[in-house]
Amino acid sequence: MLKPRLGYDNLGLGVGLRTVHFAHILEHEPEVDWFEIISENFMDSEGRPRSVLEQIAERYPIVMHGVSLSIGSTDPLNRDYLKKLKSLAESVNAHWISDHVCWTGVAGRNTHDLLPIPYNESTLSHLVKRIRIVQEILERPLVLENPSSYLEFKDSTMTESEFVCRMAEEAECGLLLDVNNVYVSSVNHEFDPVKYVEAIPAKRVVQCHLAGHTNCGTHLIDTHNGQVIDPVWELFQLLHQRTGGVSTLLEWDADIPPFPVVHEEVLKAKNYMDEKLHVSEKSFVEKAVANTSSTAIPHPASFITAEVE
Amino acid sequence: MSDESRNLDRIQRWMQTVICWPSGVEAGIASEEAQSKIPLQSSELDTVITASSQLTSQERLGIYANAYYARLLECLSEEYPALVCAMGKTAFGAFSMEFLQEYPSTSYTLCELGAHFPQFLKETKPATEDGEVNWTDFLIEIAWLERVYSEVFDGPGIERETVLSAETLNSIAPEVWPELRLKMAPCFRLLEFQFPVHEYISNARQGNSPTIPEQQITYLAITRRNFIVRRESISQSEYFLLSKLEQGLKVGDAITQFAESGLMEPDELDVNLHQWFRHWMASGFFIDVCDS
Repeated sequence: MLKPRLGYDNLGLGVGLRTVHFAHILEHEPEVDWFEIISENFMDSEGRPRSVLEQIAERYPIVMHGVSLSIGSTDPLNRDYLKKLKSLAESVNAHWISDHVCWTGVAGRNTHDLLPIPYNESTLSHLVKRIRIVQEILERPLVLENPSSYLEFKDSTMTESEFVCRMAEEAECGLLLDVNNVYVSSVNHEFDPVKYVEAIPAKRVVQCHLAGHTNCGTHLIDTHNGQVIDPVWELFQLLHQRTGGVSTLLEWDADIPPFPVVHEEVLKAKNYMDEKLHVSEKSFVEKAVANTSSTAIPHPASFITAEVE
Repeated sequence: MSDESRNLDRIQRWMQTVICWPSGVEAGIASEEAQSKIPLQSSELDTVITASSQLTSQERLGIYANAYYARLLECLSEEYPALVCAMGKTAFGAFSMEFLQEYPSTSYTLCELGAHFPQFLKETKPATEDGEVNWTDFLIEIAWLERVYSEVFDGPGIERETVLSAETLNSIAPEVWPELRLKMAPCFRLLEFQFPVHEYISNARQGNSPTIPEQQITYLAITRRNFIVRRESISQSEYFLLSKLEQGLKVGDAITQFAESGLMEPDELDVNLHQWFRHWMASGFFIDVCDS
């Protein structure tokens, strides 16, 4: 029988580790339950980023979140990358390794974006096959996140939630449900986010992501640049009720405020963890004023700048 | 490869071509490269990408196209802040667009994105008749040093190594020294520039708008201690001797070549050599001595 969260621990409320917070975390050792790292920023590092990570890993649980696995690409899997991913996971005792249901490039290139795939039987089979290979190499279940997306393909024959559910069951992998991504995509593609969350196989959800986004009037962009809005908190609450609680993490990647502000934001999740609270249907409406002049960049990249004296 | 997966491959190659096309989505769709994957007119785009009630198919695809350049330009700007300052944002953006055409990312890590940027600037430098050093050389040198900073910052260092201690050095008999070779720290770099770019970069990275400096031959020794990149301006003499040691010459041979170079009067040699070696050792330039 399948265990909740595939048997992984509920680590509590965590924060995405970003370089601007390194000094604060080392100095103050804040009472954060766990940290999630961007795997690619540390895989090859032999400098300060890796050193700081090792110090943080001694005190806090670490989860690895990647952005370049490109599980949906038709390019061959990068075995060197997977080897390094596994090595880093062993070195920091990562609780699990996650990435996205997407492709990032083809023909040897990397766009460094999380690009959507058509959702149909053929692409499902392609992903399931590759996930199984990756899981064999990593010797652990892979955890995959639903992406935010801004377009849909004519070739799709099923909804994203149907695709993600079948993918998880057939590949026997875990899910990282990003409720902000569900919300962003639901507005962009005009589907019901509640039905999406209700359809997800609860026991396969290992982790939840929270983030802010930008309302561009005609569409939403997943910018990770601010507070979580109420409709997203409502989706979180629904997910919490369905799963009984999973490790939850806040991503903040642009206009990053001081660490205590980011930490405080994820702690708001506690307000939505009461099983008796009712999910209000009215709340699933965007109240924020549209920013139509925004030059927002979806899920901005996290680049580490050299420190020079 | 089955027909079904070939379809996905065709869609991905087509989409990548279109969103990375420098002159926009419409031109990308019309390009020969995209047409060879999925032949269609812009008006037929909704046979591949569906429209929403708010956005057309082209507008939806355009979000990815805009994000591609914006994201990568942001990363390059973060790696080369002094170059942005020297060139101006507009010119830097234009060069970055061209650079990304010439050297698109092929790595899983963004740390490699800007690796070829100094090389690209060199390749695209307008030819000068007299070979005179000019403004574009200054820009290339800024890019070169900023890239070195990135490589030294995140590359192998000496923090976990046992550097040469005073005890080790004192235990070496004076007559043995000429036959020894010194092993440089993996993070050590010795560089020569036509401009004092290190001062310009430090100034720009502090948020100032420094003026372009006069040409002045500059020698730098770069290393890393406690995970911070350290740069130090050195004399031509120090540069000469360090470069011989870096090439793997025995200490005695390196000093002999230096003495013969005429860069320093013989009576100054002994005092300076002593001071230099003491400083270089303390700075962690060397991590070992070997006698072969």
